[in-house]
Formats: sequence, C-alpha cells, structure tokens
Amino acid sequence: MDPGIIGQSLARIEGPLKVTGTAAYTSDHTKERVAYAVPVGSTIANGRIAALNISKAREMPGIVEIYHRGNVGALYKPSPEAGAIDEARPPFADDVIRYYGQYVALVVAETFEDATAAASVVDVVYADVAAPNVELQLVADDEPAEVSRRGDPEAAYDASPIKIDRTYITPAETHNPIELHASLATYDDDGFTLYETTQAIVNHRNVVSEILNVPRENVRIVMKFLGSGFGGKLWPWSHGTLAAAAARNLGRPVKLVVTRKQMFQTVGHRARTQQRVRMSAQRNGSLTSLRHEAVNDAGMLDEYDENCGEATPHFYGTSNLLVTGGQTRRNIGSPTAMRGPGAVPGLFATESAYDELAIELGLDPVQLRLQNEPTRDQSLDVPFSSRHYAECLTVGAEKFGWSLRSPAIGSMRKDGSILGWGMSGCSWLAARFAAEARVELHADGSARVAIGTQDIGTGTYTVLAQLVAETTGIPIGRITVELGDTRLPPGPTSGGSMVTASVIPAVLEAARAAMKSAIGLATTLERQPFKGWSPEDLNFQSGKIVARNGASGKQIDYHEVLQNASVAMVSGGGKAASTFGEEHPKRSSHSYGAHFLEIAWQPEIARLRVNRVVTVIDAGRIVNPRAALNQIEGAVVMGVGMALLEEAHYDPRTGAPINSNLADYIVATNADTPRMDVTFLDYPDTKLNELGARGVGEIGLAGMASAIASAVYHATGVRVRTLPIDIEKLL
Amino acid sequence: MASHEFRTDRVEVAFTVNGKPVGLAVDPRATLLDTLRDELGLTGTKKGCDHGQCGACTVHVNGRRVNSCLSFAATHEGAAIDTIEGLGTPDNLHPMQRAFVELDGYQCGYCTPGQIMSAVALLAEPCGESDAEVAECMSGNVCRCGAYQNIVAAIQSVRKENAT
Amino acid sequence: MNSFTFTRARTIADALRSARGDVKFLAGGTTLVDLMKLDVERPAGIIDLNALPLAEVRRTPDGGLHIGALARNSDVAHHPDVVRDYPLLSQALLSGASVQLRNMASTGGNLLQRTRCVYFRDAAMACNKRSPGSGCAAIGGFNRNLAILGTSAHCIATNPSDQNVALTALEATVHVTGSNGERSVPIGDFYLLPGQTPERETILEPGDLVTSVTLPPPAPGAGSTYVKLRDRASFEFALASAAVVVTIKGGVMQRARVAMGGIATKPWRNLDVEAALEGQPATRERFADAAQILLSDAKPQSRNGFKVELAKRCLVHALSVATAVT
Repeated sequence: MDPGIIGQSLARIEGPLKVTGTAAYTSDHTKERVAYAVPVGSTIANGRIAALNISKAREMPGIVEIYHRGNVGALYKPSPEAGAIDEARPPFADDVIRYYGQYVALVVAETFEDATAAASVVDVVYADVAAPNVELQLVADDEPAEVSRRGDPEAAYDASPIKIDRTYITPAETHNPIELHASLATYDDDGFTLYETTQAIVNHRNVVSEILNVPRENVRIVMKFLGSGFGGKLWPWSHGTLAAAAARNLGRPVKLVVTRKQMFQTVGHRARTQQRVRMSAQRNGSLTSLRHEAVNDAGMLDEYDENCGEATPHFYGTSNLLVTGGQTRRNIGSPTAMRGPGAVPGLFATESAYDELAIELGLDPVQLRLQNEPTRDQSLDVPFSSRHYAECLTVGAEKFGWSLRSPAIGSMRKDGSILGWGMSGCSWLAARFAAEARVELHADGSARVAIGTQDIGTGTYTVLAQLVAETTGIPIGRITVELGDTRLPPGPTSGGSMVTASVIPAVLEAARAAMKSAIGLATTLERQPFKGWSPEDLNFQSGKIVARNGASGKQIDYHEVLQNASVAMVSGGGKAASTFGEEHPKRSSHSYGAHFLEIAWQPEIARLRVNRVVTVIDAGRIVNPRAALNQIEGAVVMGVGMALLEEAHYDPRTGAPINSNLADYIVATNADTPRMDVTFLDYPDTKLNELGARGVGEIGLAGMASAIASAVYHATGVRVRTLPIDIEKLL
Repeated sequence: MASHEFRTDRVEVAFTVNGKPVGLAVDPRATLLDTLRDELGLTGTKKGCDHGQCGACTVHVNGRRVNSCLSFAATHEGAAIDTIEGLGTPDNLHPMQRAFVELDGYQCGYCTPGQIMSAVALLAEPCGESDAEVAECMSGNVCRCGAYQNIVAAIQSVRKENAT
Repeated sequence: MNSFTFTRARTIADALRSARGDVKFLAGGTTLVDLMKLDVERPAGIIDLNALPLAEVRRTPDGGLHIGALARNSDVAHHPDVVRDYPLLSQALLSGASVQLRNMASTGGNLLQRTRCVYFRDAAMACNKRSPGSGCAAIGGFNRNLAILGTSAHCIATNPSDQNVALTALEATVHVTGSNGERSVPIGDFYLLPGQTPERETILEPGDLVTSVTLPPPAPGAGSTYVKLRDRASFEFALASAAVVVTIKGGVMQRARVAMGGIATKPWRNLDVEAALEGQPATRERFADAAQILLSDAKPQSRNGFKVELAKRCLVHALSVATAVT
C-alpha cells in the first residue's frame, strides 16, 4: 500500500460539478413526455374520506389524470424482510385519515403550473372528523421496553446522598434538507427506473419492488447527487410510490417534487421525546446509578422507536443502570431517523442531567466526567475497541481555556454581555453495513471504482477515490467513482455515519483483486520482464508491477501490461459483511467527543448567541480531514439551531404542522454561525476496519444542545429542560 | 425540455439568459425559476422552498441577485438574466467557484449555485468587509449542511485575490 | 395558483385604466407572488408595474425626501441621503428579509406587505382577514409571533414590515393616485385596525395605486435608531422592533417619535408614549415609564405573553441608544 493519500485534505473530486450547477440532482433529471404530479394532502388529521370530488379539477387545463384510491392500481405493503420503511401503509390504501397532510389524491398534468392549480381545487369531503391527538405530554401506550439494565439502580439511587430526578423534552424537528424530496419515475418493458432522493438506493429498490409487486431486477434506482437528507431521505415515502404508480399507469415519465410544506407532513421528522433521568452519586462524585427512561411519539400505524438510550449504557460508568424506551401514538405522520437518532435527543437529556449533578455536587463538569470514565462497556461486558473520551475532554478544556471559567452564575462578562460557558460530551455508534464493490484498472491508465452507495454531501465520492489511490498508487485524478445506481454492486446505506467504515474492506479487497489480476497477466506476456515469474514474487506499487525483492530492478506500468495483452481492463470484486446490530459483539465500538462553548446573553434585548465552540472528536482515523471538519462544523451549526431555534408546532385543533416553512421553522443562518475550532484525535480503530476509520456525520450534533443549555444556565441561572431555548424561557 | 400543446393564455417574453437572447411564450403563472429549469433546461438554479425563504434559486437580474422563485418569468421583458451556468464550467471555473471548491464551501452542493450567485453579487454590493458583515449579507442563503464558515472564507479569499 | 390575465402597464394611466375588477398590481412580487402560490391571493388579473417610472429617490423642495413607490428596498437603504438624514429607515430596511428580497421588494409593495400569520397564509385554515367570517384560528393557536396591540376578536395578525415602522416614526406621507385623482395620506392614517373588518388593512380603495412616499425634513440634531429583536441573528421577522427619533436639549427630551413593530396589527404609534417622554430627562427610568404606557393596553394571546416584556426592553433599549444613555 502506498501511504499518504489517506489522511490528506483533498478537495472534493465532484466539486467542479457542484459549483457550476452541472451536478444533476433528482429533480434536475427530465425525460421526453414527462408529466408533472402534485399530491393533494388531507386537511384533517383524524377522520375518513367520505367523498372525493374531482370533477372541477378534471376540467382544468392540461390535466392528464387524477389518481385516488379507486384508480391508482395495486400497491402492496412491503414484507418486513424487504427492508426499512417508516410508513409502511401504501398511499391511498384505505379511506382513513391518520395525520394532517396524508395524501388523498394525485393530480398529474402537462405542466407543474397546471398540476398545482388543479390540485388546489380537488374537493375532499371528510366524515367522522375527530379531534386529533397531538397531545404534547408523552406517556407510553404500552409498558416501555427495557433496553439495558445492570446492577440495582433503584436501590443504589435510594441509598445515595446526592440525587437528581429531572425530565427533559425535545420537540419534533424537521430535517429540512434544502433539496426537496423528489421522484422522477419511468416505466417501460424493462420495468421501473426511479430517480429518487434517497440515502439508500439498495433498500429503496428492495422495498419499492415489493410495494409495486415487480421483481427486484425490474427496479432500478438512480441517485447521483443528494441535496442532503439528514435521515429524512433514508427510507421510501409515499410520494415515490405515487410517482411510480402514475408512471406505470400512464406509460409515461412522471416527475413529482414534494413542496416544503408537505415536507413537514409526509416525509418524517425527529420524534418528540420526553425523557426522565435519575442520577445518583456519592459526595465524592462517584456515579452510583443512572436511570434513563424515554418515551417518543409515533404515527398511528407504524412502530417508530427513537431509542434515546442508544449511547447511555456504554457512555456512563456506573454499576447500576436502567434504560427504557416507550412509544405513544399520535395523529402525526411517522417520525423517522434524524441526524444522530436516539443519541442526539438522548444525550441532551443525560448530559444536561450530568451538568445538573455536577452543580449539585459542587464539582467541575469535566472533572465529574473524567472521574466516572469507564474502562470497559459495562452493559455488554466487553472491552472498548478504541475509546479516548477522556482525552477529548482534556484537550478540549485546554484549547477552550476552561480553567479560566468562573462557575458562579452570571459572573463572566464581556462587551456588555453576560457570558455563559458550557460543555458536554458526545458519542455515536461505530459499525459497518454489508458492502460489495468492484474496482477496474483500465488499459488507458485510469481506474474506476463502482459501488451502489451514495454521497449525500459527506465526501463519499472523494473517500472512494482516495481508497483506490491509496491501494493502487494510481493518481487520484485518474480514478473515476461510480455510485448511486442499483446496477452497481450493492453498497451501504448513507446512515449511521457508517459509509466510510463500511466501504473500506470491500473497496480494498476489490482493488487488491484487480491488482492481482494485473500481476497474473504480467506473468503470461511474451517478451515482457515478468514472463514466467510466479505472481507471489511480484508486487503492485504506484501503478507499476515490480519484483517483490526489488533486486532485479525490473518494473512495468500496469497499463502497459494490459495494452500488451490487448486487454481493456482487469477488475476485482470485494465484499464485507455487516457488523451492525450484532447480538454478541466482541467489542464496544463508538466514537467520542466533547464540546466546549461560549454563549453571550444580553438581557436588555433578550439576545442569545453562541460565540465560539471548541470541539474535539475521537472518530478513529480521518480519511479526509477537510471533508470531515466540514461535517463536524456543519453539525455544530445544526446544534445551534436545535438548541435555540428549531421546533415543529402542531396546531392542537387541526393537527397541522403549522409552521411548515423555512420562515416560521427557523434554522441557523450564516449570521448565527459561531467561531468553530474542531480537532480530531488520531487513534485508528483497526478493530473496525483495516484503516481504522469510523464516521463523522452525526457525532458533532450530539451534545451540542446540552452544552448550550449548560452555558445558558451558567449565564442566566435558568435551566432549560425543554428545547428549544427560546427567548420566552429566559425572560 | 417539456413540450406543450399550443395555449392561448400564454404571454410572450424576451430576455437574455447568460448573454443569449431567449424568446418564450410563457404561462403567466410560471416563475422565472421554473422557466429556467423546465423550459430552458438550466437546472443549476435550484428550488428549495419556492417562497423566498432559502435562497437556493438565486440568480442575477440586470446584475442584481434576486430569488427567481418569487418572480414571474413574464415580468422580465428585456432583462439580462444570469445563472450559475453562465459563470463558469467545470473545466473553466470562475474564481468564486474555485474558491468554493478549494475551501470546501459546501457539502451536498444543492444550495451551492445560489450561494455562489449571492457571493459573486455580494462583492459588488455595499456590504462591509468583515466576516460578520459578509455572514449577514449571506444570510438569505440557507445551507442546511452548515458550511457557513467555509462559505465566508471562500468569499473573503476571492475578495483578497481581487484586491491584489 | 389560479390562472390570471397578465398585463404590462407602460404608464401610470395605463395601470389605472387596467385596474378594473379583481386585479392586483404587481411590483417586486415578494409578497404577492408568494401569496398567490399559497392560494391566499387569487386575482383574476395581474398588472405588472415594473416598467413605470416610479423608482426615483430625490430631495423635495422643503428639504424632505421623495421615495418613488418602485424604489427597491436595497436602493433606498443605501441611498446616500437616506443613510445621512434618515439612518433609521436604512437600518430598518437592512434588518428586513435578505439581500435578494430587498433587491426585489419595492417601497410601495412593502407598505402593503401582508401579515405573516400562519393561519392567514394557509388557505385551509379559518381566517377572517383572508376569508371574512370564517373565524380566527390564530386565537388559541400558534400565535407566538402575533400581535398584542391593536387586536380584535376577529384578528390578531401582526403587520410584519420593518420599513413601515421607521416610516411611521419619521411621519411619512403616502401618495396615492386612483380613479378619484391624487391623494396624500399621513402614514398614521394609512393603516386600519382590524376591528370587525380585518380584510381591510389600509385606506386604499380598489384601483388605487401608491406612487410615492415622502419624508419631512430630518429633525435637526435628533438621535434615532431602529432596534429589531428576533430569535435568530438574521433573515427573520421581528418579534418586537422599535423605531425612535429623539431630540435632546440639555439632557431633556424635546421631541420624541416612537413607532413599534412586531407587536401590533399595524405599525404602532402611541402619542401618549411620546408625550410621556417629551419634556423629561433622558434616563432609563423615564424610558421605562414610557414603555409601561406603551404596553398598558397589551392583550397577550396564549403563546405571545412574553412580547409584553420583550417590547418594553426593546423600546427602552432603542431610546437608550438614540439618546446615548447607558
């Protein structure tokens, strides 16, 4: 292996396409005779459709067809084995309305303007309209599931001198990638070609083929560029099914772009959570028990578990622990995973509680964490594969200047503002999905790597090229990366921050197989230096085939070998199994980090801003620091929004997500961005893969809201346990 | 490009796009954004909210940046419209495009054409030169990936380049 | 969006002649196109004003300022005369929306900017302003950003403009032309309270066209500022804003003009507040007294009670800045 390209801050190889508008996102694709589809959503959240009057809409100009339950054709619920989907009921499956915005009809017209106009005059008559259940107080419908238990947390709590018992609430949040969800569906003799906004092309194909009841081979999913997803585009949603059904029924391509408003209704959101945290400690700060009991809301038909306790069992060192999770059904569209599902809302609760415990103990919050750092995963009773959380804490504290913190509330001031300093730890799982890859070495000196995964903005195109360049020594500029098409070998879902870790073994294996093939070819060529050599005596280095011992001084460019053999390419395949969700893992694999930050509070104008953030991340080896830094910084910015700004409000009478636009559901702007200083610890986790890379997509968001809440407490004396921390909570 | 049956309710409009004259009979309801994308095949300009709340659709009209989603195409008779496609190509990037690549002023790239159109316009506007002022002047372009720090750095690097 | 006829007006007379029936004038489009996409506005016809010669900004003979109705928010905000003599108007404009929107939005259009109430903006919801008699879903709903002053049992929608708050503090005059000729209306008389007819927001009659706004000569020696409070740092409507112009002599406030935004159904001016300031020393105590008077009639809704305190702080802060009291 030629060292050096892994760990380099390379510019994204697809960058020139993105900055010129050349990169084609899903809705940028078009087809001859494309028709435009606009779904009609229900304006109640609980009831049924008594009648659908479409006669007026039918008379509108440009109408192609209006689909509804009576004419959409067969659509099936996918089997559980097909893959993941959060809203499994096919659209139009019955007349029952279970959430506001649920699709009740689909207008297809010649133009977008025609379809939109007609959709607005489809008249839906509702019956049995009942008050929607969008109650904010969450009590699990059934006995919550026990996620993890060790020791006797109840007894330990009762016996401890210091204890806290707090409840934390996180709101419904919407992903709001700037790219609208979209689908361009075509159907012909070969089956369906679906251009989809998806973070998981393989899962999408497997699930949608069952919904449409066609063989998997007859569905092709294409997604070359995703305008991000943050989890909202992991699994198929109803609009894609409707576009495919319309294309099938009409025999012409159909494009459907979901509106921003519909994106608050029908493509998932981060579940609202209510979490009770009980912690107890000895007076010296030794954590004696931790109970973390979470409930999240879910749609009426589906089983969405936010899993708030995802990080709790391994993150906290205590002999007595309980983590539970429960759900309660609401008249809302199904929630779905959103960046750092489980751990992000979960760590807001547990890390906030830890801060409260530190104050109760009179201990520095960094000290409390260091003091309770576990040496192994106490729930699984296995060692950590690589855990350097303590170093994240100490390095972060040093870089931030934490030792200068004066702990008294409101005691730090600068430029007329009260400063608040807060910190928090963070953690995110590390695992691999199954992956296959193919690497080709071409006679023109180029290489191509093909894998059915996605680049959702995380840098996967570049990482894949780096892996091939590193292994083969072929310059990165001569490597083509092909992804985003189910015709390619099945690759990992872009979820769980697992793509990089997942592709490494498959791509390295494929590259090595291709190199081996080139070496084999070299030994067969007449009048060439290695004719008759044993392949074992040869090596592939920097794009050349060389003698292993180097003694002979002989070498030949691999592409010369191919040219001389009249071979266009040699290729190799690679394949690696999943480690995700193993029942009895031998090690506990996670990434770790710590945030230290400063907020400024100006009480005379009720202005709260995050000034600066120092983040230290232990995520194994970093393949491309430039892209990885951007991931963490972007997550920190999203954390500012999560802590201070973001909440989807459901109207209590209609059940409508009422602030369903980017002016009323506010996310951080450029002007809200704090100064950021991100450091990666460099401890390769070679138990996870050969290069020791984990993932960085989600961890940066975890712990941000608790760090900000802690800083706000430090500045104002107000402990906010219900996000977001809006102005009214501080007045 | 979509093909349409002849419709009498259309409005004739002529403008230039990236310097090239364009004459169209548009649906008066069609926004400049949808016209660029669906009629002219210029899909570099993106739809993110369709209500002037995200900036992904930013183009220049007569040299000024605007939200093409809140503008009917029919109102642009005689206008000079510039889109991301007119700025540079992958093989011949505009300095601002190059700066976005070099300084990683994006992640997913979807809001990027709008960011770059804003950034190019900004350098000719009475926006201050500090990072904070640039951030304020760029706040009409939402980047949900949060690449804001790098976006400001890209703009500042081009400003510096221009000054030398 | 519904279908409509599209007409390009070449002259003002052209525009007025075309203004028959259910038509709307279109300037920057930042409000109208937005609301048409939401099916909140469904005009049968659109008259495009953008070719009319109404974009001029110039001094008036009396030393005031004429701002053409089609002058774009960006151009007004950066106009040297505005920056020098009416800085709070510049500040207010630059605190609103985004650069792109300010490049589009016109002075006249901003005068007629419509509320951001989410129930008004959603055609499926009850709203007396959009659909008279249908009720007000905002009362008892998500009303965090809605009004606490000037409301009625029929409507609690906030006027969202920043510009209009500054124009109110500057005592601007709105110039209108219509079928009954030309009129000039003090901005204080231009907006209507919702009362029982929230669908009527201004004194404009059908077919009326706003042609310009004029400002009186700047008050000599006055301090002024525009303070806008909101959740995020930029690109958001005000939760509370204050435009103040104060002239001080010997530590005593001789003349005070105060207008508030984000908290009321129209750009809010209360003469009692100004009277409570004039003749008083410029101190935080007197500012707080004035803020108390401003909010004495406040009627908070289920989710916006915090605006009472927020508005007080906003006004006290604005007066402190304008009078340089710390």
